Amino acid sequence: MIDVIVFAISALIIIGGAIGVIALPNPVHAALSLIATFFGVAVLFVQQEAHFLALVQVVVYAGAIVVLFLFVIMLLGVDRAQELGVEPLAGQRAAGVAVGAVLLALVVGGLFLSGDPDRGGAVALTGQSGQVVPTVEGEQDVIQLARDLFTRHLLTFEATGILLTVATVGAVVLVRARGAEDLILDEPGTAQH
Amino acid sequence: MYSDFLRDYLIVVFFGILAFAVVGAFIGLASLVRPDRPSEAKNTAYESGVDPVDGGWSQSQIRYYIFALLFVMFDVEAVFIFPWATRLEEYGMFGLVEMTIFIFILALGLGYAWRKGVLRWV
Amino acid sequence: MLIAQEFVRPIIDWHGVAPELTLLAIGAMVTLVDIIWNEKAQRIIPTLTGLGFLAALLPVLTLWSDRDELPRVMWDGAYVVDEYSLVLKGLFLVSAYVVVLLATNYMHDGDYYEGEFYQLVSASVVGMLVMTSARDLISIFVAIELISIPAYLMAAWRKRDLKSNEAGLKYMLMGVFASALMLYGMSLLYGFAGDTRLAAIAPALRSSESIPLITLAVVFVVVGFGFKVSAVPFHTWAPDTYEGAPTPLTAFLAVASKAAGFVALMSVVIVAFPEQSGVAEPLLWVLAAVTMTVGNLIAMRQTNIVRMLAYSGIAQAGYMIAPLAVFGDVPSSAARAIVIYLVIYAAMNLGAFAVVITAARKTRSGEISSYGGLFQYAPGLAVLMTLFLFSLAGIPPFGGWYAKYQVFLVLVEPATTAGYVLAAIGAVNAVLAAFYYLSIMKQMWFMPEPNGDHTRVQITPSLQAALAITAIVTLVTGVLPGVIPDVGDLVVALP
Repeated sequence: MIDVIVFAISALIIIGGAIGVIALPNPVHAALSLIATFFGVAVLFVQQEAHFLALVQVVVYAGAIVVLFLFVIMLLGVDRAQELGVEPLAGQRAAGVAVGAVLLALVVGGLFLSGDPDRGGAVALTGQSGQVVPTVEGEQDVIQLARDLFTRHLLTFEATGILLTVATVGAVVLVRARGAEDLILDEPGTAQH
Repeated sequence: MYSDFLRDYLIVVFFGILAFAVVGAFIGLASLVRPDRPSEAKNTAYESGVDPVDGGWSQSQIRYYIFALLFVMFDVEAVFIFPWATRLEEYGMFGLVEMTIFIFILALGLGYAWRKGVLRWV
Repeated sequence: MLIAQEFVRPIIDWHGVAPELTLLAIGAMVTLVDIIWNEKAQRIIPTLTGLGFLAALLPVLTLWSDRDELPRVMWDGAYVVDEYSLVLKGLFLVSAYVVVLLATNYMHDGDYYEGEFYQLVSASVVGMLVMTSARDLISIFVAIELISIPAYLMAAWRKRDLKSNEAGLKYMLMGVFASALMLYGMSLLYGFAGDTRLAAIAPALRSSESIPLITLAVVFVVVGFGFKVSAVPFHTWAPDTYEGAPTPLTAFLAVASKAAGFVALMSVVIVAFPEQSGVAEPLLWVLAAVTMTVGNLIAMRQTNIVRMLAYSGIAQAGYMIAPLAVFGDVPSSAARAIVIYLVIYAAMNLGAFAVVITAARKTRSGEISSYGGLFQYAPGLAVLMTLFLFSLAGIPPFGGWYAKYQVFLVLVEPATTAGYVLAAIGAVNAVLAAFYYLSIMKQMWFMPEPNGDHTRVQITPSLQAALAITAIVTLVTGVLPGVIPDVGDLVVALP
C-alpha cells in the first residue's frame, strides 16, 4: 500500500513538473520546474532500491544540468520576448500535436492492450506486476554497477570518457573567439563588465 | 518487504516536516511581534546600499557557460569514479589503470580548455 | 535473485581491441599536440590524423590475416570481432582517411578551426570502430552517441555562416529525438529480456510474438535508427544539414556516419530480432520502398549539387534497407549485400564529394549550373565525375551496378511476393535516378562555362590522393567484384 502512495505522489510531482516546463511563460521558471520532475524521478529510483541512481539523478540532473540550463537561458537573455504565435512553417504545430498524440496512443496502447491477459501489457516486461529487476541479494546497487563497468562494459566506459571530452572541446570551439571578427567570446582587454 | 524498506525513509519524511514546521513557526511568530510598515524604498532589492540599476534578468556572460559545462563534465566523471571508490581494493591495480586512463581522457578536455584560454577570468 | 559474486579481472584480448586502442591513442596524441604547441601545430595535425587512421588499419589487417582465431568474443559476448566487423572497421578507417584528405585544404583555406576538427573526427571514428563489434545495447548506444555528438558539433563548424548554424542545430535536435526514441525501445527490450546483450535478447523474444509492448520496442528501435540513416520520413534534417555543413564533413556524414547507422541497424535487427521478423520486416519494407522513391523524386528537382547528393544518398539508403525487409529468411545474404553496398557506396559517394569540393575551389558555388563547361577546362575532373555518377546510377562496369545487383539477388532469393515487389520498385527507381545523374553529366559535357572563365582548377595533392583512392575502388569493385571479402555470418555468441 505504501509504495502505491509513494508512487502516486512522485508521479504527480513528475507530471506536474513536466507540464510546468512546457507551460510556464518564463524560461527560468520552466527550468526550475524541471527540478521537480528530476526529484520525482529520484524518488521512484529510491523506491526501486536504486539508491545510487537516485543520488546521480539529484546531483547531476537536478544539480549540474539545471544549472547549465539556467546559464544558457540567462545567456540568451530572459527579458527578450519571442513571438511564439507565428509558425515559420504552416501546419507544423498541428503536425507536432499529431505526432505527440500518436506516440501517446502507442505507449498507452502498448501498456494496456493485449490478446492474452496473462502475458500482455506491462506484465510482459517483468513477468509479474510489481517485480523489481534482477538484483543481487544483500549487495548495494553501486557495487553491482562498478562490477559491470569493470567487466562487460569496460570499453564502453572508456568511450564515455571520450564522449565527455568531445563535449568540452566542442563547447570551447563554439564559444571561443578566433580572429578579430569572431568576437563571440571577448578577448581579454575588450571585455565589458 | 517493500514497505519495510520504505519505512526507513519515513525518517526522512519526518525530518522534512520538522524542518518546515520549525522554520514556519519561527517566521510566523516573528511576524506577530515585529512592526510592519512597508514603503517603496524598503521593497527595492538590496545591493550593498547602492541603488539598483535595471532588473535582475540581465544577460549573463558566455564565460559562465564554459564553467557550468566543465562542472557538468566533472560531475559525471565523479559519478563514474564513485562506484569504483566503494570497492577500491577489490579492483586493485586493474581498476586503477582503467580509472587512470578514464581520468586522463577527461583531463585532456580540461587541459585543452585551459590552453585555449577560455578559463581566464577577466 | 542472483547470488553475489567476487570480482574477476576480465581477460582482455588486446589484439582484438587493438584498432580501437590505437585510434584512441592517436586521438589523445592529436589533442596533446594541440595543447602543447597550440597554433604552431595546426599544419601538421591533418597529416598526423590521416596517418593515425592508417596506423589503426594495421591491427585490422593483422586480425584479418589471423582469421583462424575469429570470432574473438569478448566480455561475455558483448563485444565480438568477426569478419563482418573487420571489413566494416576497414571501411570506416579508409573512409575517414579520405575525409581527412578532403578536409585538409578546405579547413586551412577557410580559416576554420583545424586541430579540433580532426580531434572530433577521430573521436567519431572510435565510435564507429566500437559500433562494428558491439553486440550489446549499451555499447551500441554509447557508440552511436560517440559518432553523432562530434558530428553535430562539426556540422556547425562554419560559425559565421547562418546556414551552418542551422545545419548543426537541426541535426542535433533531430538526432537527440531519435536517440530518445531508440533508448525508450531499448529500455523496453531490456525490461523484457533482463539482459542487454543482443544474443540474449533474441531467445527472450521467441515466445512473445504478439505482445504489443515488444512490437512497440521493435518499432521504436527501428525508427530511431531510421533517423540516423536518414530514411524517409525521418530524413528531413539531411538536406539542410548537408548543405550547411562544411562539405568535407557532409561527405563524412553521408558516408561514414550513415554507414555506422546501418551497422547498428543490421546488428540489432539480424542478431536480436529474428524472432520478431513478423514485425520488423513489413516496417523495413515500407521504409525501404518509401525511402528510395521519395529520395529520387525530390532529388530530381534539386538545383544545388550538395542537396542533390543528399537526396540521392537518401535514395541509396533505401536500397540498403531493402535487404533487411527479407532478413528473416536470408539473414546472412542480407548482411552480405548491405556490407557490399556500403563499401561501394562509400567509394563512389566520397568520390563525388571529392569532385564537388575540388570544383568548388574554382567556381565557389554548389549550383548544378556552375558545372557547365567543366569538360573544357578540367577534362580529368569531368571524366572522374562521370565515373562516379555512372556508378551511383548503377551503370556497369563501375561498382554501383554490383551493389544493386546484390540487393536484387537477396530480394528475390526467398521467392516471396513482398521481395519481388520491392525488387520491382527498386528497378523503377534505378531508372528514375539515372535522369538526375545524367542531367549533371549534360551540364559538364555539353553546356558552356557560365562566366566564360576557362582557367584550370587547381587540384591539391591531398585532393588528388582522395580522387585516386575513390576512383580506383569504384572501378575495381565494378570490374572484379570478388575483391570485396566475404563477411560470413554475424556471429551470435554467448559464452
